[in-house]
Amino acid sequence: MSSPPRDAPGAGVLRAAFAVARKELGESFRDRQTLLYTFVLPLCMYPAMFWIMVQGVLVVQGQKQARDVTVGVVATAETAEAARGQLALDEEGRGRIEVVALDPETPRDADAIAELIEGEEADALLFLPDGRSEDDPAALFFDSTSSQSETARGRVVSALEGWTEELRAEAAEARELDPEVLEPILIQTRKINPSKDDGALVLSLLLPILLVVMCVLGAFFPAVDLTAGEKERQTAETTLLLPIPRLGLHLGKIFAVCATSMIAATLNLLALGLSAGHLLGQLAGLGDGAPKVELPLGALISIAPLAALFAFFVSAVLTGVASLAASFKEGQALLGPVQMLFMLPAMATNLPGMELTATTAWIPVVNVSLAFRGLLVGSASAGPLLLCAFSLTVAALFAIWFSVRLLSSEEVSLSSETISMTRILRILRPR
Amino acid sequence: MTDPTNTSAIRAEGLAKTFHDPQRGVVEAVKGVDLDCRKGEIFGLLGPNGAGKTTTLRMLSTILAPTAGRALIDGVDVAEDPLEVRRRLGFLSGSTGLYPRLTGRETLRYFGRLHGLEGERLEAAIARAFDAFDLHAFGDGRCEALSTGQKQRVSIARAVLHDPPVLILDEPTTGLDIMASSDMIQFIESRREAGTCVLFSTHILSEAERLCDRIGIVYDGRMLAAGSLDELRAMTGKEWLEEIFRELVQRADAGEGAA
Repeated sequence: MSSPPRDAPGAGVLRAAFAVARKELGESFRDRQTLLYTFVLPLCMYPAMFWIMVQGVLVVQGQKQARDVTVGVVATAETAEAARGQLALDEEGRGRIEVVALDPETPRDADAIAELIEGEEADALLFLPDGRSEDDPAALFFDSTSSQSETARGRVVSALEGWTEELRAEAAEARELDPEVLEPILIQTRKINPSKDDGALVLSLLLPILLVVMCVLGAFFPAVDLTAGEKERQTAETTLLLPIPRLGLHLGKIFAVCATSMIAATLNLLALGLSAGHLLGQLAGLGDGAPKVELPLGALISIAPLAALFAFFVSAVLTGVASLAASFKEGQALLGPVQMLFMLPAMATNLPGMELTATTAWIPVVNVSLAFRGLLVGSASAGPLLLCAFSLTVAALFAIWFSVRLLSSEEVSLSSETISMTRILRILRPR
Repeated sequence: MTDPTNTSAIRAEGLAKTFHDPQRGVVEAVKGVDLDCRKGEIFGLLGPNGAGKTTTLRMLSTILAPTAGRALIDGVDVAEDPLEVRRRLGFLSGSTGLYPRLTGRETLRYFGRLHGLEGERLEAAIARAFDAFDLHAFGDGRCEALSTGQKQRVSIARAVLHDPPVLILDEPTTGLDIMASSDMIQFIESRREAGTCVLFSTHILSEAERLCDRIGIVYDGRMLAAGSLDELRAMTGKEWLEEIFRELVQRADAGEGAA
């Protein structure tokens, strides 16, 4: 009887890990759920979903602009008539403003006005006293919870700007003054950044969250499949008998989960980046001065090392936690809350004032999200980025230790029950 | 290190395993089992469910670490060099444990590679396995689509692809139909002729009687007795294996069990 060769390729931990990862990846890509979340969603569903959403918004906006509104004017008959002439100007592509003259004695009482708006007598009420009055100024009443009333407000404010300008010019002329005297400071606001920076700003609000979400979603199903799913399929014993070091086996699983996570994140970022220019441009309804939304290739390449570290961190955490479950279903239930722990901090990074600093660089999830945003808008500096890379490396190594420790436990790898918190603490206890 | 003068393929001394069970507390699944299986021998572990057979086999195959005692596979200590032990044995259970999304050929290729087979050697080994276990009709289909008997054949091919000197089979005929069960028994007999040491667990008495050169009776985590059928008859004064088993169990329950 010949003995198997002693120089079998199980000797190297990393070589074994890559062999396991290759096999697990191949198997994962034959799993429908993994395929759906890794390929189908980014390549087909997300662009389609965003396109439908943008088209929906455009339709709603168009309907809003074309909508007729009714404004009740509370003024003397003469002023009300003047207001009708000014407000009811036809503008191409916009709905009409129908002016209804109301009783000049109508009180400026919010409840009474609300009743009038609810009773559909008017969408907004404009109080126009004759001449300027400190005690009894002109006022526009509207209901901010009503889309129709809000539209009426916008339309009236816009029309009043032109009327005010006209009245100012008439007053200056009556006093034989140059109308410019009444406007001593003429302000022009000019944007100094190129249009593509506006696009980068828009993407900086979307892509960092998408990076985190897709890293987590991409790792979710493989993590459950390679751990709890393996117990359910009764292949855990077979895997433990592989002639390779156990560390290599467990690292191989984490590598496979990480690879799926990175593939999912990359495809999603590319798909959204490519479709965002067209779709967001449409959404803003902008012409030549519109922000240009371009695929931020430079930022994507720059973020890749940090994203890879983050994907390792996520994959190791999810694989470790999923290994505690005895079945696929239990694995999904366990990972649900963990998934939220990753996603919520990513969303919080869109709060005003959040930036990558020496402090935020230490907070996992928040750091990678802020670093990506910084790279997208060009505000990231080397110090915090390096700190972020260091902290993500520490987090990923700790997560890998945590995961390997759990996977190496006999209780975890072969248990037919979900592992309790007490047992987890016993497993993780220093030996 | 392997001792070339040693004829033991599997040797266990005082092998024990204790679990922490959340409901039952500390459970002694195996309580000091001694075992000696020689090269070219078929050794059957016979015992009821929960006797500790599977736990013993899992310790011998490095899936579980023993709490106490020592075990050698082909002269290699399971605790000191588990990786080398795994290279020297083939393991098979009734559940087959095949990866459902891989084909039979992919399964053999994966295990072959990890056992150090590459290139032409690997392909030749796979071709031999396809011939030996008649996998040609279904070996390129995904394992999840195979019948139980077909899965078992792929599983056997996987276990012996690297020609291991030791085979450990955990209730290999459980869940198999008559034909698949018969194929399995023939396979075990063929390994004896090939000089392989086969250790298998079962609770089917007729299987043990027919196949085994020696039988170990396991009960409540202990090896009550081990020997050939004739030696067990002499030990108990009983003729049939069923009677022998009952006699040994009754002695153990009465506190007279002897290992």
